[in-house]
Amino acid sequence: MSSLATSILRRSVAEVDTPMHRIDPRVKFLFFIWISVWAYIFLDYVLTAIFLTTVLILTFIGKVFSKTVKAVAIVVVPWMAVGIPILSALFPWNKTLIYNLQLFGYNIPLYYEGAAWGVVWPLRIGVCLASAMFFLFTTEPVKLIALLFEFKMPFRFIYAVTGALQFTPILLDDLQTIIQAQRSRGMRTDVSLLKRLANYPVLIVPLTLSALNKVQIRAIALESRGFSAPVKKTWPYDLSLKRIDYIFLAGIIITTIIFIYIYIVYGFSPISHLKFYLAAG
Amino acid sequence: MSREPIVVYENFSYSYPTTPNALVDIDLKIYRGEVFGVIGPNGAGKSTFCKSLNGLVPHFYGGTVKGRVLVDGMDTLEHTTSELSMKVGLVFQEPETQLSGLALTVEDEVGFGLSMLGFPSEVIRKRTREALEKVGLKGFEKRSPSELSGGEQQRLAIATVLAMEPEIMVLDEPVALLDPIGKSEVLSVVKELAVEGSTIVIAEHEIEELAYFADRILVLNEGKMVSLDDSKKVLSEVEKLKKIGIDPPSVTELAYLLERDLGIKLEYPITLPEALKIFGELMEGG
Amino acid sequence: MGEKIIEVKDVWFKYSEEVTALRGVSLEVTQGEKIALIGQNGSGKTTLAKHLNGLLKPTKGDVIVKGMNTKETPTHVITNIVGYVFQNPAHQIFTKSVYEEVAYGPRNQGLSKEEVDERVRMALELVDLSGYEDTHPYDLNYGQMKLLTIASIIAMQPEVYVLDEPTSGQDHMGRRKLVKLIDMLNREGKTVIVITHDMRFVAETSERTILMARGKIIGDGPTEEILTNTELLKQTAIKPPQVVQLCEGLRERGIELHALTIQEAREILRERLAAS
Repeated sequence: MSSLATSILRRSVAEVDTPMHRIDPRVKFLFFIWISVWAYIFLDYVLTAIFLTTVLILTFIGKVFSKTVKAVAIVVVPWMAVGIPILSALFPWNKTLIYNLQLFGYNIPLYYEGAAWGVVWPLRIGVCLASAMFFLFTTEPVKLIALLFEFKMPFRFIYAVTGALQFTPILLDDLQTIIQAQRSRGMRTDVSLLKRLANYPVLIVPLTLSALNKVQIRAIALESRGFSAPVKKTWPYDLSLKRIDYIFLAGIIITTIIFIYIYIVYGFSPISHLKFYLAAG
Repeated sequence: MSREPIVVYENFSYSYPTTPNALVDIDLKIYRGEVFGVIGPNGAGKSTFCKSLNGLVPHFYGGTVKGRVLVDGMDTLEHTTSELSMKVGLVFQEPETQLSGLALTVEDEVGFGLSMLGFPSEVIRKRTREALEKVGLKGFEKRSPSELSGGEQQRLAIATVLAMEPEIMVLDEPVALLDPIGKSEVLSVVKELAVEGSTIVIAEHEIEELAYFADRILVLNEGKMVSLDDSKKVLSEVEKLKKIGIDPPSVTELAYLLERDLGIKLEYPITLPEALKIFGELMEGG
Repeated sequence: MGEKIIEVKDVWFKYSEEVTALRGVSLEVTQGEKIALIGQNGSGKTTLAKHLNGLLKPTKGDVIVKGMNTKETPTHVITNIVGYVFQNPAHQIFTKSVYEEVAYGPRNQGLSKEEVDERVRMALELVDLSGYEDTHPYDLNYGQMKLLTIASIIAMQPEVYVLDEPTSGQDHMGRRKLVKLIDMLNREGKTVIVITHDMRFVAETSERTILMARGKIIGDGPTEEILTNTELLKQTAIKPPQVVQLCEGLRERGIELHALTIQEAREILRERLAAS
């Protein structure tokens, strides 16, 4: 579990260079917003699945596929596993029966609408998450910061967002060491869950103190480098749109036109033809 | 070393909110171009002294102050640490933790301080190049700081400070957490800077190394000044140092012990070359 | 002195596909030895040390502690025999009092309240922290915190002590205390293994030195031999203690002198000079 977290969170400035990395972060950020909006507008699990697949293809080109898929799977799969059964039984607008489940002597009818909703809802989140990861994982921190500077975000905010991402791997390393140190004093990891709960303060206290200490050291180091200076900060990284950005943007514009056409002509759910559900939307 | 003072401590005392008397009645001058060593047992106030040079003490910690510290004419009480960061550069013990934490490349890390102070891009780029060359990290520009060794990270930290072109470079036990290779890399860089005439304040436990390049040494104990003089004089006061828990260089202690054992008068060496000369002559002289 | 207490048999260890930390390491530790484990960061010394108390298990090869193979024995059994003190006290301290901190280990060993009390009392006495039972660990200074972490392992009464960089962050007085402590433990028959970069400390505490580089042991022998082997040390960019360098320099001038510590040098020089 922690190695999964580490592989998602550990970001070395990759010497990887793919066409996806070269796209301007502003364009990728726009893409993330854009595709999340469209995934939200269309209540259609086929279409949403197509969106997700498209984003995953982009992450594949950007060589960040496995990280993204792991992160998305952690959210989407459990959600579906719980949502589909519950909604297919209990969704208020259920109409089309697909199956009658016999459980403990009860007859539980399962419906298509609820099941579809159980699929599409987490898929939408998946699209949003995947496109966000696509943006974050294929953008070097220096460009990310340049982007936030463009948006005229206050520097402390920029620091809070990007600095936190880097801190977690350091803490995970620390946790490893703490676990080893306490095991050397007889802490047991091979016992029952209840007994293992007793290990939490033994691990959390040193971890928290270590983290706080590091935060303080970093804070004074930053102070010593003018972090709090009330001047307009510069960032020596110029963002400029290149040919690949224009191609990507053109793709977005064309697809938008197609989507608008589909929406107007075919309605809310072009492929699976689900009706619009007001409260659930 | 000139006789022009760049830092003046006027009866400076400081207490942290939770620890009183971290520094007591510090009264001294630091001269432009000198290498000023600071030694003392744990808790003596070395770190506090270093942080009082750029205003972290007292501004970051609070606490109470008496007296004042003037850095190139600026009173640290009346200026923020950011203002003082152009005059005083501070390098800490912890190699990775003291970096900005923004997962930047080596060259972005070096330029970070200048970005914080609003310098234009061309200046940042130029100073970054020069700083990296000075610390021997040319070629490392696009690397990630977290992939570097401890010695390389500390040299990077020095480069980030050099880029600000401060008047004084302050190093708070810079090699304490490094392995032998890292120690030697970092101390070489510091010695280079010393030779070029930079004003350096360095707090250290590695007294045997310090003896090679410190001009004067300040000995602190329990926040008070115990000695301040030329390195040779300070390190030769073997009894005084041992009483407060500091070991002088091995060769110095050896000379002191022989002097007492044999009832002779010896000049005390503080470095290996000096020791070879002095002991060599002693043995050959008969 | 006498029995083999730890055997390391051709151990290989990989942290991952790309990182092989140990490449065929073999050694034997006899009860009662004082050993220094030295080498640059990345040489594998910490990885090797963590195999000695079962924290890490070899990818290939075996580590036998008192006849038990660490791959086949639960770690908590091995940690009762080999105590490992980590470098940074902050990675360990989690309680509100010195007493509680030192009691953690013996409690994990399943001892009764009286036995735990006795172990804590004895451990604190050995490290000179008696009277601090109710002090909050973070009210101690750094040197005392390090002694506290050593006490918390002493209270478990292992037969072997592995100390990871005990002198880092310590001032000279702290270092002197450690030299005395190691000597005391050794006189009670304990084996002490120290991982360190401080060559002077090595000369003052360890009879045997093991030098590692790139995952292999490249030197293993009496400290006098290893620390005066200039060729070997140059390979790993380690400088011997100043006293040893002094002797080398004097030997180049035709003056024969062999000493590891200030004390040894003093005695030899005093005799020679008094004679003439």
